Amino acid sequence: MTDLPGPSDTTPPPDLTPSRPVYDGKLAELYGIYFRHLALMVLTLSWSRFWGRTRLRRYLWSHFAVLGDRFEYRGRGLELMIGFLLVLLMLGLYGGALWAVWEYVLHEQSIPGLGLFDLFTFSLFFLGIPLALVGHYAGLRYKMTRTRWRGIRCDLGGSAWSYGVKATFLHLANGLCGQLLTPLMSVLLAQPRISNASLGTQRLEFAGRAGDIYGRFIGYYFLNILAWIVAITIGVTAAVWGGKNLGITEKELGELFTNFTPRSVLVLLGLAFAIYVLFGVMILPLRCWWQAYLWRYLVSRTRAGKVLFASALSTRQMWGFLVLNYLIVMLTLGLGWPWVAHRSAKLIAGQLWLYGAPDGASIRQPAERPPRFGEGLLDMFDVSGV
Amino acid sequence: MTSRARYYDGVTARALEVAVRPSAVELEISHADGVDVVARWPIGEIKILGDGEHEAVPPLGRGDERLMVEDAELRRQIALAVPQLAALGAAKPSAGGRIAIFGTTFAALLGLFWVGIDFGSEYAAALVPYPLQARLGDSVMKELVAGHQLCTNPAGLAAINGLANRLAKAADYGHPVKVTIIRGGPVNAFTLPGGQLLFFSDLIGKAHDSNEVAGVLAHEMGHAVHDHSMKSLARQYGINQLLRVMTGGYSDLGTVGAGGGLLLALRNGRNFERDADATGVSLLEKLGLRADGMSEFFADMQKTQPTDGAAVAGIWSTHPPTAERIATTKRPPTGQPAFSDEEWAALKVVCGPVKENNPVPDRLREKPLATVPNAPQAKEPEKR
Repeated sequence: MTDLPGPSDTTPPPDLTPSRPVYDGKLAELYGIYFRHLALMVLTLSWSRFWGRTRLRRYLWSHFAVLGDRFEYRGRGLELMIGFLLVLLMLGLYGGALWAVWEYVLHEQSIPGLGLFDLFTFSLFFLGIPLALVGHYAGLRYKMTRTRWRGIRCDLGGSAWSYGVKATFLHLANGLCGQLLTPLMSVLLAQPRISNASLGTQRLEFAGRAGDIYGRFIGYYFLNILAWIVAITIGVTAAVWGGKNLGITEKELGELFTNFTPRSVLVLLGLAFAIYVLFGVMILPLRCWWQAYLWRYLVSRTRAGKVLFASALSTRQMWGFLVLNYLIVMLTLGLGWPWVAHRSAKLIAGQLWLYGAPDGASIRQPAERPPRFGEGLLDMFDVSGV
Repeated sequence: MTSRARYYDGVTARALEVAVRPSAVELEISHADGVDVVARWPIGEIKILGDGEHEAVPPLGRGDERLMVEDAELRRQIALAVPQLAALGAAKPSAGGRIAIFGTTFAALLGLFWVGIDFGSEYAAALVPYPLQARLGDSVMKELVAGHQLCTNPAGLAAINGLANRLAKAADYGHPVKVTIIRGGPVNAFTLPGGQLLFFSDLIGKAHDSNEVAGVLAHEMGHAVHDHSMKSLARQYGINQLLRVMTGGYSDLGTVGAGGGLLLALRNGRNFERDADATGVSLLEKLGLRADGMSEFFADMQKTQPTDGAAVAGIWSTHPPTAERIATTKRPPTGQPAFSDEEWAALKVVCGPVKENNPVPDRLREKPLATVPNAPQAKEPEKR
């Protein structure tokens, strides 16, 4: 009898060597670039923002390395500006068409108090939401196609318009269902963003299912309601009790926001601090708990060929990412933005794990041509920092 | 001389540790052991992609091929050997120096920008051609009167327009002034670009005498002759731009920016009101007309609303405190009446005969409308 080796004996075990991205940017260098960007913004009445954004991206991308190889950002400011101007032109044409309809069709049946400008703003508000979602995807595609790793261009397939329609519908449905569709929406919207992305011919794969995360979400959902009830009860009780004990009259309360005295400033600061503590202690950690879990889930269900991904992002780290970063930017009137970008890059580098390495020889340049211009819609409806 | 680097062929995602041998005509790229040549790049076809300030390592590129030389010393050696690649050896600029230079420049530019807005809008508004101002005023007027009933008594309109144009002439305004009156309230009046004034008939109905209406009209003319509506637009545009560049265009700062912009706009609003008060009174005096109507009107307002909304609102108010306005516009009851008895009678019925069966309810007399001119309000055209 011959002992034939089984398949498990001949197939080499998959290479699952763990590694993490490396971010070696320096905050001071980022600030040097940012201040130059701001100075040019003042000089050019903000028209230099396309070039400034490009410089910041070049810095962040090139200081980010995976498996020892740095990313490259090869977008150009001119491309961003042309993209913006094209959207501006589209809006101009829309405005012209609206004017023609107003002048020749609707004018005779004018509605009191509703002018052409109101109609334009009103319609743009409703169009703006789906268009911002389309722009979000198109902007992601632009950034991907301008990104290279090991000289190979990244890509994002799929239609930005169908993503926009899908995202609008899901946001609407989720809103109507009291946010109970959040897991479904998160997974369905992550699907195109991840599985349409590729490095050259190596596509990313996503195997997430909403059913996997519904249990955790339901727990979060009801805990969140409970936390709000408790927070509001504590807040109202404390305000009534505190108001009585501090002897604050109704008149004084009315003047709190209009007539600033040292006492009213102290009361307002106290109120703000109390609201912050209640919100910060009870509501935000819960939300960060859910968001961290969702992030870990989405990452763990993603793979690129033989490379698997995982993240150990904690609730505390998500709090730092969502809440602290927001506070930094708000309290510094935007000047803290480079600090936030630096913190975020370090967080991603520290909390994203890759298992295995890609077979470089089998990954080739993508066949599709990249879009010529980009981000116009994103710039118009959601002026993003980077 | 050989130097070690990473090479990407531009066709696949393979990464090779390579040795680089620069010469005057080419870069010879070979396997790390230096034996097998991987590629030869003619110097004329090589590009440095980026610079040392923005890239950690400026890649060398030839089409889609890339060469990354991580070691700064080796980059310097290549730069020395190949003059065309001299930029590769440039030292990284000092971050501290750049922060100091650009931070200071940014702060100085912001200061200049603010000075530019504060003073520039004074002059920029006057540069806007009058036909454009008039067209703008027309379009805003259309929006404001849409859905309202206009007062059309010709004699009443002639009376108020006659005085308005006399005041305009006294101020060397140089353009015709048109007063439009809307039936009803609030007790208010606006000045629009292009010499368009809008009055609400409740203001005329509740005035104690013609001098008070003349005082309000003179105040509005003060806004018109100083181009306050155009200046407000110019300032608002400038402030928006300033906040936009200050925040780097970060979207979430919109609320903070809007709040700051509103405060700055309100400050300007208070100054404009003071200017309009002073100009209005001096125009009446110049024509030899009674100039005590304006302060009388403010005094009436104070009586009906003992708590001074503008004083309480402080920095949030569009108008100065009423007590201050009474004090600065106080004049003796001397001079000719601004309207003749006939004109005043016609103006009182500009919207048609007074309906005695529909008097102002007592509760409104005691508690004036929230929209009286000195109440804090934002985002409205120039108003009295």
